Amino acid sequence: MTNSSYFKPATIALHTGYTPESDHGSRAVPIYQTTSYAFESVQSASSLFNVEQGGHIYSRISNPTVAVLEQRLAALEGGAGAICTASGMSALFATFITLCSAGDHIVSSEQIYGSTATTLRYTLKRFGITTDFIDINDSDALKAAIKPNTKMVFCESISNPGMQVSNLPEISKVANEAGVPVVIDATFATPALNRPLEHGANIVVHSITKWIGGHGAAIGGCIIDGGNFDWGNGRFPEMTEPYAPFHGMKFWEEFGPTAFVMKIRSEAMRDLGAALSPHNAFLILQGVETLELRMQKHVANTLELRDWLSEQKGVTWVRHPNLDAEPHVAEMFPKGAGSMLCFGVTGGREGGAAFINTVSLASHLANVGDSRTLVLHPASTTHSRLTKEAMEAAGIPEDLIRVSVGLEDFADIKADFAKGLKAALRAAG
Amino acid sequence: MELIVNSAPVYVATGGKEFDPKLPTVLFLHGSGGDHRTWALQTRWFAYHGFSVLAPDLPGHSLSGGDAFTSIEQSGSWLVEFLEKASVKKAHIVGHSQGFLSALELYKSKPEMCLSICAIGTAAAIPVNQALIDTAKESSAKAAHMMCNWGFGPGAHQGISSVPGMQPIAISRAIMSRNPLAADLQACADYLAGSEIAASIKAPRHCILATADKMTPLRSGKALAEQMGITPTILEGFGHMLPLEAPRQTLAALREFIQTVQNESA
Repeated sequence: MTNSSYFKPATIALHTGYTPESDHGSRAVPIYQTTSYAFESVQSASSLFNVEQGGHIYSRISNPTVAVLEQRLAALEGGAGAICTASGMSALFATFITLCSAGDHIVSSEQIYGSTATTLRYTLKRFGITTDFIDINDSDALKAAIKPNTKMVFCESISNPGMQVSNLPEISKVANEAGVPVVIDATFATPALNRPLEHGANIVVHSITKWIGGHGAAIGGCIIDGGNFDWGNGRFPEMTEPYAPFHGMKFWEEFGPTAFVMKIRSEAMRDLGAALSPHNAFLILQGVETLELRMQKHVANTLELRDWLSEQKGVTWVRHPNLDAEPHVAEMFPKGAGSMLCFGVTGGREGGAAFINTVSLASHLANVGDSRTLVLHPASTTHSRLTKEAMEAAGIPEDLIRVSVGLEDFADIKADFAKGLKAALRAAG
Repeated sequence: MELIVNSAPVYVATGGKEFDPKLPTVLFLHGSGGDHRTWALQTRWFAYHGFSVLAPDLPGHSLSGGDAFTSIEQSGSWLVEFLEKASVKKAHIVGHSQGFLSALELYKSKPEMCLSICAIGTAAAIPVNQALIDTAKESSAKAAHMMCNWGFGPGAHQGISSVPGMQPIAISRAIMSRNPLAADLQACADYLAGSEIAASIKAPRHCILATADKMTPLRSGKALAEQMGITPTILEGFGHMLPLEAPRQTLAALREFIQTVQNESA
């Protein structure tokens, strides 16, 4: 059960947003591979454009297959509404530009995904939107960072790649008391492990390319509006003043709990055109249906791998959110804190490269959240141009191996990693 | 727009067009814990098709100030003053659930102000379980959780929405959780005058009911329709929250009724 549905999450994942359609009784959600929708009449078309009724006009704005996914994800997170986008990054960008205009300010966790940090630090800055990066779990720093022009506090539920768990109850308390919404990227958690809205967040963003889709087959993003923020508090004229391009609508007055997501559909989807394709929505829906089951196995494999790695010669350290160390981690993640872990391998940059070159079951690539185990050695790939010192400053030591633990039988993952560690030891001499 | 009634500000949605009292007016009255957004998918049609629309947040609800009514009877005189402040002499009155009980009190106070009355998802009496009222006194959010479970029909429970990407149950819960549900529910529970007034209505009248309504069961709605001397529109498979869970069907039935009345009176 969530705030949106009285069904249990496993049932929501299978049924919400769709009943077998009347024409053919298709049990699976059909793929509406269409750009547009024939109007019943001139009057009906006029009603749709004038927001007198709901419905679909053009697939850049909405699409029936995508809408099922949106309604299902909204229900899984307990939100009032959702909108899917072409990727996780477009979901974030749409969120940022919907809430912020030139002169506005964002407070962000310093531990976030590199591309998101780049968007905040460089791209948005070109448009007059500035960001301060802080230790998000330091309440005093958060309080001090919020300014009169701050439009959001941004963090990741489990940070990429640092594995820091944001203390959401505390962050939300501080931000909401200051009249600022909390936007959280919950990609690493998924609603199967943690529903951020229940811990005080106001807007949840996902890269549904990852565990929600779960099979490495489709790129997509999603924004879920918690419906739990007072946009009428005087800080958000974007939500309360008439919006000339859309009937002079005042989104907060008109839509209340769904003001934010309706603004995104009316503005950002029109302007960015970052629509999720119906085919990708269908593929991701297949992943959603088994999300809860898959996450149980992902977490079980991760904990086994964490414990096994901790005892291996050739492993210098292992990092995974520790449920025993901090009370808020256990409170937020009773079913386990995701299936990402990092570890240090003997031999530094060379040892890491040897490990990666030797494993064969684990795929070496720049993605996470696949059904298959994925590994990445930042020092020899994404961060290879950086010096050792520069990497350490970014919190990424040369020996770091990032693992997205898959659904294979753990014995096979273990055997593959044992081969890699042996190679790393050899490289270390 | 905002009006001042009984010294308190009242937020009034007008369907996206400036209110013009010279046009035939439709007054929409929300139910317990609700607000003007109950009518989001009905008001715009009327506002853009020859009518003026008034959909207030009743006192103490959402964007309006003041205190919630402690009795349905109070709402009758308030509605008279509200319409006078809006310079409206006569209006088509549409009430959902508790909103219809208020419409009855308006009719009792000033029948000449009612061009027509349409009851949606309601009954002449709305008894409320004391446990629900007690829960609402403790927490509107907890009571909203219970009401939405009972109030929405099977389609909404399955997450079906006429507006892409939305979850009507969550939207209603969010609105109700912030509003004075306990006062509303107590007012409904205490109100016993509905049958007598409903039977006395001379103005054109109609009922829109639903087969899966658990809050005001269909048999109670049918009894009301009989008292009012009309044949109701019955929407198959929907629950109590008709304006939200069956917006197109509700609008279609409303349009047919109000346009017919308007054409006949022209």
